[in-house]
Amino acid sequence: MKLVEALDVVKRTSQRPSEPFTCFLAAGFNLLHLNTFLTAELSLVFADRNIRLRSGLYGDLLGNLNRLATTGADAGIVLLEWADIDARLGLRSSVTWSPATCADIVDTVRERISQIQCAIERASARIPVVVSFPTLPLPPASFVPGWQASSIETELNTITQAAWSQIMRQPQVRILSPQRLDMASPLRARLNVESELLAGFPYHLSHASVLANLLAQLTRYPMPKKGLITDLDDTLWRGILGEVGVEGLSWDLDHHTQMHAFYQRFLGALSSEGVLLAIASKNEPALVEVALGRKDLALSPEAFFPLEVSWGRKSEAVARILTAWNVGPDSVVFIDDSPLELAEVRAAHPEIECIQFPTKDSSGIYEVVLQLRDLFGKSAILEEDPIRTQSIRRSSAMAKAYKADNSASVGFLEQLEPEISLNFSKSPVDPRGLELVNKTNQFNLNGKRFTEAGWLNYLRQPESFLAMASYKDKFGPLGKIAVIAGREHGNELRVDSWVMSCRAFSRRIEHTCLQKLFHRFDADVIRFDFGETERNGPIREFLTELLGRAPVPGCTISRQLFESRPQFIQEP
Amino acid sequence: MDDMEKRLVVCFSSVLPGLSSDQITHASASTVENWDSVTTVTLMAVVEEEFGVTIVEEFPARFDSFQNILSYLQESVT
Repeated sequence: MKLVEALDVVKRTSQRPSEPFTCFLAAGFNLLHLNTFLTAELSLVFADRNIRLRSGLYGDLLGNLNRLATTGADAGIVLLEWADIDARLGLRSSVTWSPATCADIVDTVRERISQIQCAIERASARIPVVVSFPTLPLPPASFVPGWQASSIETELNTITQAAWSQIMRQPQVRILSPQRLDMASPLRARLNVESELLAGFPYHLSHASVLANLLAQLTRYPMPKKGLITDLDDTLWRGILGEVGVEGLSWDLDHHTQMHAFYQRFLGALSSEGVLLAIASKNEPALVEVALGRKDLALSPEAFFPLEVSWGRKSEAVARILTAWNVGPDSVVFIDDSPLELAEVRAAHPEIECIQFPTKDSSGIYEVVLQLRDLFGKSAILEEDPIRTQSIRRSSAMAKAYKADNSASVGFLEQLEPEISLNFSKSPVDPRGLELVNKTNQFNLNGKRFTEAGWLNYLRQPESFLAMASYKDKFGPLGKIAVIAGREHGNELRVDSWVMSCRAFSRRIEHTCLQKLFHRFDADVIRFDFGETERNGPIREFLTELLGRAPVPGCTISRQLFESRPQFIQEP
Repeated sequence: MDDMEKRLVVCFSSVLPGLSSDQITHASASTVENWDSVTTVTLMAVVEEEFGVTIVEEFPARFDSFQNILSYLQESVT
């Protein structure tokens, strides 16, 4: 983005009538154009919010870091540069470098980094904090030639790396990837000597633009895609199965088709992270089964569910996969080497992200995998993630059995030996709660989303409560699948947010949750902050059944009425 | 108004929104109320980016009006 474009974005978006999103930018240098770039980039990333960027005092990095915890901002951004950690590493200092000075700089940096680390950890207890490593090159303080690593360079990097590896363990801290920054902004083109001397702003505009773009993306809580549907021929492997046969397919160095193995390995990684994988292929099912059974496949064929292999339209196969997964098309990526198939799927499912697999272009495949990493990237792997595919597979089998046994649905569910437990602990904050609230669409009381800081503030209110439901049955666990957040108000519980994963549908978990809420808080009434959204039909149907009428904002159910309906009560 | 002048007007309108084209061509630090030092530095950056020039260190003192900047660009940009 050019500065003039950033100014235009800021001008266009500054007056939009939406809820504010406040970021506090803690740095030691003059933020000048970075402020503009960052406001513009944040306005694009948080398209439904009004961005307010605040910063502290020029030249007071530690003071600004200490202010971070008390600003009441929705997020904090920490920008560190060597000159702000020790002024002798900047252009504006007049101190002469010597071996003795260098040793003292290392000691000072060690001390300052320790203080910075404490301040970031303190702040991250209240708000999410994103941190950028020093991005500018070190000055030529050492006596060694530029192509030789100096002891000061090595020691400073060791000190900072050790600190960052500790900081990044904090659940609310995200660190900007130096590798991604290096790829987008060459080190040589970052420092603007004239601007630093004239205005105290050390960056070339191109670097400020890239840095702002990456920081804005890092500031947003990751909302990764949930599922990937892949083609087989000339995508998962090289070759057309129907033409070359199972043994004619390849994904190895010998056949110059190694990048298909690279793609397979990456899909295997996605699967282990909880991403749903499915196959949509025009092929003979029996042949595909044999091909997927090849021992040299780089991922387990069990990672794929469902396998839609037929000669029918890909868009129809994709529709069946979406039904089996029970996720919306906007959470899914479809990959195929054929532009025709991509166009056909895109026409039927415009919200699906369609990506062409560039067969025979190894560099292109590498780029696609990088793109997929960004689309599916998340900050942490939660305990629910690795069991997701299995539980979807079980849910699908259960739904079929349920349909076959619809004469005795409650009895059928009892045979599953379900165990539903509710955890009411608010601290330490489990990231799964916010993840569920912010990504669930169908069983969602009102579609309201929270920022990380907003969620923490909500839970900090003494009257608020949080109930996280976990489920398991004789087929295995589903993990934490529902969240109810609300406030106690005398004998009334006010439910502000209630979401449940689509994997947990049709198990009457929602009924049990209400029962346990009444019991835990000894409440007489539960009031729901219901709000209709385009996609929350499932919770609307449930509340209609519960209340005997269509739900409205603020609708209530009394304990007396709830308990008078035996269909809602589960035997202990 | 030639192409260079039009492009400079666009730069000014980004940094000093709300001014008409006519006001911009007559704009200076002494006549525009909210033209401060940050405005000057931002204008310099936008002009450098738009015209691909590096403004020499001695020039900022003269970077105080539309006409001065236009003259500078006419001298610097071939």
